[in-house]
Amino acid sequence: MSNLTRRRNLVVGAGFGALLVMLAVGQTVLEKTAAAQSKAGVQAPRFEVDPLWPKPLPNHWILGSAIGVWVDADDHIWIIHRSSATLGNNEKPLEMGTGECCAGAPPVLEFDQAGNLLRHWGGPGAGYEWPDSNHGIFIDHKGNVWIGGNGGPDSHVLKFTKDGKFLMQSGKKGARRKTGAAAGGNEGDVAGFVGGSNDEVSFGRVAKIFVDARANEAYIADGYLNKRVAVLDADTGKLKRFWGAYGNKPDDTPLPAYDPAAPPAQQFRNPVHCADMSVDRLLYVCDRVGDRLQVFTPEGKFVKEAFFAKNTKNAGSVWDIAFSKDPQQKYIFMADGVNEKVKVVDRQTLQELTTFGDGGRQPGQFYGVHSIAIDSKGNLYTTETYEGKRLQKFVYKGMAAVTKANQGTTWPGTR
Amino acid sequence: MKTSRRRGPFGSALRHALLLVALVFPAARLSAHDIPRDVTVQAFAKPEGRTMRLLMRVPLKAIMDIEFPRRERDYVDLSRVDQALRDAATVWLSNKIEIYEGDTLLENPRIVSTRMSLESDRSFGAYEDALAHVTGPTLPADTTIFWEQGLLDVLFEYPIQSDRSRFSIHAAFDRLALSVITALRFLPPGGVVRAYELPGDAGLIRLDPRWHQAAMRFVGLGFFHILDGIDHLLFLLCLVIPFRRARALIPIVTSFTVAHSITLIASAYNYAPNALWFPPLIETLIAMSIVYMALENIVAARLARRWIITFLFGLVHGFGFSFGLEHTLQFAGSHLLTSLLSFNVGVELGQLLVLALLVPALEVLFRFVVAERMGTIILSALIAHTGLHWMAERFGVLRQFPWPTVTAAGLAGGVRWLTIIVALAAITWLVFVLTQRSSRPGAGETAVGAEK
Repeated sequence: MSNLTRRRNLVVGAGFGALLVMLAVGQTVLEKTAAAQSKAGVQAPRFEVDPLWPKPLPNHWILGSAIGVWVDADDHIWIIHRSSATLGNNEKPLEMGTGECCAGAPPVLEFDQAGNLLRHWGGPGAGYEWPDSNHGIFIDHKGNVWIGGNGGPDSHVLKFTKDGKFLMQSGKKGARRKTGAAAGGNEGDVAGFVGGSNDEVSFGRVAKIFVDARANEAYIADGYLNKRVAVLDADTGKLKRFWGAYGNKPDDTPLPAYDPAAPPAQQFRNPVHCADMSVDRLLYVCDRVGDRLQVFTPEGKFVKEAFFAKNTKNAGSVWDIAFSKDPQQKYIFMADGVNEKVKVVDRQTLQELTTFGDGGRQPGQFYGVHSIAIDSKGNLYTTETYEGKRLQKFVYKGMAAVTKANQGTTWPGTR
Repeated sequence: MKTSRRRGPFGSALRHALLLVALVFPAARLSAHDIPRDVTVQAFAKPEGRTMRLLMRVPLKAIMDIEFPRRERDYVDLSRVDQALRDAATVWLSNKIEIYEGDTLLENPRIVSTRMSLESDRSFGAYEDALAHVTGPTLPADTTIFWEQGLLDVLFEYPIQSDRSRFSIHAAFDRLALSVITALRFLPPGGVVRAYELPGDAGLIRLDPRWHQAAMRFVGLGFFHILDGIDHLLFLLCLVIPFRRARALIPIVTSFTVAHSITLIASAYNYAPNALWFPPLIETLIAMSIVYMALENIVAARLARRWIITFLFGLVHGFGFSFGLEHTLQFAGSHLLTSLLSFNVGVELGQLLVLALLVPALEVLFRFVVAERMGTIILSALIAHTGLHWMAERFGVLRQFPWPTVTAAGLAGGVRWLTIIVALAAITWLVFVLTQRSSRPGAGETAVGAEK
C-alpha cells in the first residue's frame, strides 16, 4: 500500500471517529434539552378526525338530529337521534314513498370500533312511553341503556336492555303539563308546560343520564324545563335527592336573559344539559346557556364552577363533557355547539388549554356539536344536532405541546 | 402427543340432557339468542405447585343453550344461578380447552368457583384481582342484571406434576361468536407474564416453548413470509439477474442477510421508530430499492458496488420483515433472540429456494430465448415499471401523514439513528479497506458483460 493511500485511509478513519464523537455529544445535548422541554410547557391530548368513520348505514338509512352518544364496556359506540321527526320530506323520499332514498334510521344505533352498525332499535312500544323528542343516551355498568327526552310533554327517563327490551320507566310523560292545558304540545311549545323542579316523581325534559356504578344511582340532568340535578335509585327509579345551582333548592321562577356582565344566576338556566361523575366522585354539571360548568359532591354540595366562552349567548357554550381515559381523568373534553369546538380543559383547574374543530360540514367540522363520549383508547366521538345530523370519530394521537389556542379543523395530515 | 379432542363424561351427559330438554320442552323456553358478532375471552393460566389455576371470563351473550334462572323482566335470579354457571363453564369453556403438561393431556379440571359479574367489572386486569374476585363475595342476590348482559367468571384447577413443566394449550372458542379473541396471560414461576392474543381456534400453543420448538415455528414463519412477499422476491430477482454465479451471489446474499438481520432484531427490541408514518416510509423505500436495482441492472451493474448497496437496502427490508413478525413474537416464549434468528434462517431458506429456481430459469432464458444483455434490460424494465407503480402508491399513503414536529426529543432520536448509520458506514469502509489490502488490484470488479 502506498504512503498516499495509507494517509488517505488515516484521514478517512479519523474523520469517521470525529464524526461519531460529534454525534454522541450532539445527542447528549439534545436529550438534555428534550428532558427540559418536557418539564416546561403545557401538554394536551391531540386528536385527528377519522373521515372514514363510521361506515355507511344500510337500508338507505340516514340520521336525524343526533343528540346523544356513549361508549359501552365493549368499546361499542351508542347514539340516539331523532330520525324522521327531524328529517325534511326532501331528506326521506323512501319513507314518504316518493323516491328511492332515504329513510330515517331507528333512533338507537350501536356501532363497533370499525364503524359497522350493529344493533338498532327504538320507538314506541308496550309498557312504556317513548319520548316525543328523545335526548341523551347512557349505557350503565350492567349494560342497560338509558334515554331521556326533551319533547313538550317529556318528563321521564327510560331504561332498556342492549337489545331494546324495556326494563324501567321513571317519571310519567306529561307530568309538567299546566293544569287545564290542552294535551299534545311539541318541542318548544312551552306555553302548556311549566317547570316542576321539586317534583319527587317526574322530571322536566331530561337532557342526559349518568349512572354511578358504585352507589347504583342515576344522575339526571333535568333538564330543558326543570332546573336541577336529580338522583335516582338506578334499579327502582325512585328519586333520592335533588338540587339546583350552587346546591340551592331549585326554583323555577323565570330568569332574565343571560348577560355575561351580570352576576352569575343562583339557579341553573334551561337546559341543565349534562351531569357526569369523575373517578374521584365529583359531579360535573353543564349549565349550557349559563356558559358554566358547576362541580358538586354526590350529595349536592357545591365545590366550584368555571365559565367558558362567557360571551356566548343564545344556546350557550357548555353542552356536554367527557373525561379523559387516564386513571386520574386529567382532562375534560367539552362540546360547544354554538362556537363549534371541542374544548380541552384541565380538570383540576378548569382552565381551557386548547380547542379543536370549526363550523362546517366537512369531516372534523361541526354544525351543532351536541354530545361527546370517549372510548377506552381515548378516542372521542361527537354527535351533532340541528342540521348537523352526524356522528364523528376523533382519533387520539397522544400528548402534544399546546402551540395554538384553537387548532381549527383536525384534518389528518395537515399538521 | 394425543391430538383428539377430549370430552369429559360430565360434558357428554350434560349434552344429552340438554338435547332431551330441547325435545321435551318448547324451544322458546331455552335461551335462544343470536350468535354475537364479537366476543373477547379473558384468561389467566398460572401453574403453582401441583396445580394449574385457569381463571376465565366470558360474556354470557356468547353462551348458548343454557337456561339461566330468571325473575321479573328476565333479570337473572342470582340466588339460583350457580348450577347454570357451572354448566356453562363446563360446556362452553372446559370442554373446549385442552391443556398439555409436556405431551400429556391434563384431566378434566375441577370447577373451584363461578361468579356472575357486571360487565363494568375490571378485576380481570390483573391475576391477583381476578382471583380475589372469583373467590370473593358473590353479587347481592337482589342485583338486577339482565341475563345476556352479565359475565361468567370461572376458576378451574387442573392437577399437574410440576409448575416447572412445559405447558401447551389448545382453546377452541371459535363457536362462541363470529369473531373471538382470547386474551390469555400465562404466569409461570419466576414472575414473568407471557401475553397471548389468540383468534377463535389458534390450534396448539406452547406457552413456554423449548428453544428448538420456538426455532422450528419461526423458521417456518420466516420461510413462508419471504415466499408471501412479492416485493422482497422482486428485489431478489433484481439482485441476481446480472450475477448468477456462486462467487458473485455469495457476497450479495450474505450482505442482504446480515443487513436485514440487523434491523429485524433492532425492531424486535423496540429500536425502530414507533410512529404511524414509519411502515409506509419503509414500504415506499422497499419499492424504491426495487426500482433502483432494476435501473442499475439496465445501466450497468458492478459487483463491488452491488453488495454495498444491497447492504443498505437490506437494512430497509429488515424493517419490512419486522412488520410481518410483530404479531407472532408472542409465540417466542423466553427465546426472543433464538426466534428472531430462526425467522432469519427461515427467510434465508426461502431465499435459497427462490434462488435455486430463479438462477437456472434465468440461465435457460438467456441461453435459449433472449440474449443476456437484452434479456437483462427487458426483465429489469418490467420490474422497474412494477416498482414505480408501488412506489407511487406507497408514497401516496406516506404523504397522508404530517411531517413530524421538530422537537429536541425527535432530533435526538434522529441523531441516534444517524450515529448508527455512520458507525455502519465506518465498519463497511473498514471491511472494504481490509479486503482491498488483502486482494490483488482489480479483483472483485466484475462488469455485467464479463460475468459469464
